[in-house]
Amino acid sequence: MTATIRPSFRQKLSAALAETWLRLLNISRYPGQLALEIIIPIVFAAMPMLLGRATAGANAAANFQANTGTSNYVAFLLIGSNTFTIVSSAFWHIAYWLRFEQETGTLESIYLTPTTSMTLAGGVALYSVVRGLTSALLAYILGCLIFRVDPFAGDVLLALLFILIGLIPLYGVAFLFGALVLKVKESNALVGLMQWVVSFLMGIFYPVAVLPPLVRLLALLFPPTWMVNGVRSALLGMGFFFGKWYLDIAVLMAFALSVPLLSFWAFNRVEQGVKRNEGMGEF
Amino acid sequence: MQGQVRIDNLSKTYHTRQRKGLFKSEEKRVEALKGVSLEIKPGEVFGLLGPNGAGKTTLIKCLTTLLLPTGGEAWVNGYHLTREANQIRASVGCMLMGERGLYWKLTGSENLIFFGALYHLSPSARRRRAAEIVERLNLGDIADRSVETYSSGQKMKLAFAKALINDAPLLILDEPTNTLDLPSARELRAVVRELNASGKTVIYTTHIMAEAETMCDRVAIVDRGEVLALGTAAELKASLGREEVIHIEGVISAQAGEAVQRLAGVSRAVRAAVDGHTQLTVVAQDQRALLPRLIETLTAHDAVLQKIVPEEVTLEDVFIARTGRTLADDTWVK
Repeated sequence: MTATIRPSFRQKLSAALAETWLRLLNISRYPGQLALEIIIPIVFAAMPMLLGRATAGANAAANFQANTGTSNYVAFLLIGSNTFTIVSSAFWHIAYWLRFEQETGTLESIYLTPTTSMTLAGGVALYSVVRGLTSALLAYILGCLIFRVDPFAGDVLLALLFILIGLIPLYGVAFLFGALVLKVKESNALVGLMQWVVSFLMGIFYPVAVLPPLVRLLALLFPPTWMVNGVRSALLGMGFFFGKWYLDIAVLMAFALSVPLLSFWAFNRVEQGVKRNEGMGEF
Repeated sequence: MQGQVRIDNLSKTYHTRQRKGLFKSEEKRVEALKGVSLEIKPGEVFGLLGPNGAGKTTLIKCLTTLLLPTGGEAWVNGYHLTREANQIRASVGCMLMGERGLYWKLTGSENLIFFGALYHLSPSARRRRAAEIVERLNLGDIADRSVETYSSGQKMKLAFAKALINDAPLLILDEPTNTLDLPSARELRAVVRELNASGKTVIYTTHIMAEAETMCDRVAIVDRGEVLALGTAAELKASLGREEVIHIEGVISAQAGEAVQRLAGVSRAVRAAVDGHTQLTVVAQDQRALLPRLIETLTAHDAVLQKIVPEEVTLEDVFIARTGRTLADDTWVK
């Protein structure tokens, strides 16, 4: 019953799903963490929401409409904070996966098997998507109920399409980041820094139109910016970057094709470099 | 290609940083393997014997594709080390890192089933195989408990179980009896012998001389990244020629040891601390003729002698004769 020397696509998929299942089993042993993940984005959105009410009072909605194209600032902020939850999950789960396995010694164990790092990464990404999306959706619905806005106003299916297509380049960027973690053998400070940069660039509390021109250009090179703007435009009717939804989707698809290729190339290079020198187990 | 594993002039050099304080460090080049060549025959238990830091684990990490060698070539189960790395990983069962290679939040069975999936076994095959291994290694009582509740020895047993999940023709076991109590170590060795008898080739690394002697068909003595000697235990012992070994225990100063080393007929005299006293191992041509001069020299240097035992040559004596050190002394590769 020796392992298959040349595995089929189905066997590779089965290995990736086993990786997803392992992560889900592991997190199921920390139930409190899941509950916190639903509360955090609501608290995160509530702070600017309450600040807005405190400073603009009864005119908050009108002022917001004038600057952003929608008066529903509650949903705007909830969408921003929950999309950020998905983005943040991607970075945390990929970076922490590699770092945690390196520190506990299991990274060498899985590298001893014929399952490639890309297959494993696929399994971890699927776990991260399941966890991140579930938390974000539950937090969004709960937040809408708490702040009394309709969570299903607008084109929900189009919003989901932006999220699903946006996830591909998002995990591409996360793997690029994972390569960096493997190289510098550090995750916490890097993810901490990245979270601030990402939240600033993708505009979780404001539309990127208010950013200075050069920073806006930088923000538009970042796939999550298109994802969050697509979701807001689909649900709140704010306006797509190129006017039409399919043009914005086309941009996200271009990212979806190019970013994973770049990240796999970078990850593979770093992996080979580590194997040439100290090995995967050194941390 | 005849051997199950063929290693041809394999070398591994890497760069590390030697810390010199809070912020200062300097780069250091480490030659972990220096042109190792050897062949492992199908069906044999092949021992890699050497002190900690000798290069055994580096060699194993290269053979299991965890590390890329700097030079040389190797074939494992007929697959080329760098060109067919995935095939090598599929055809080798490896116990490396001991208890650190397990997911502690998962149960023993969950760990085995997960690794079965990574070896591309079908869902039913991985469950069946995990159950077979649990039964064979008597892990039934703990298989459904999370690994974090296991004792160190139980974790080692599970790590060994993990190496069996893909039922590979080649098993690579890196110090598998570390942290095991004596009965568990004996039990594990018995399973390794059974597996070998069923046709599996085993590479077994250890720094315990007696273990290498009893377990292995052939042994390579490794030190400072080089294979110093290779053969059956009997061949290696015979390589000392007419030399014999005397173990002396007591309080023996370094000067006394050096004085013994200078005696005519003494090839090596190595001091080591053993259980709170000093042991002097003397490799000499004719112990009967040497003994009176030996005692005279030691007492002249204020040595307190508790025991003088002329002994049969062991693999450790071979190591001492080749390196001037005991297996208990860690090797610091330069």
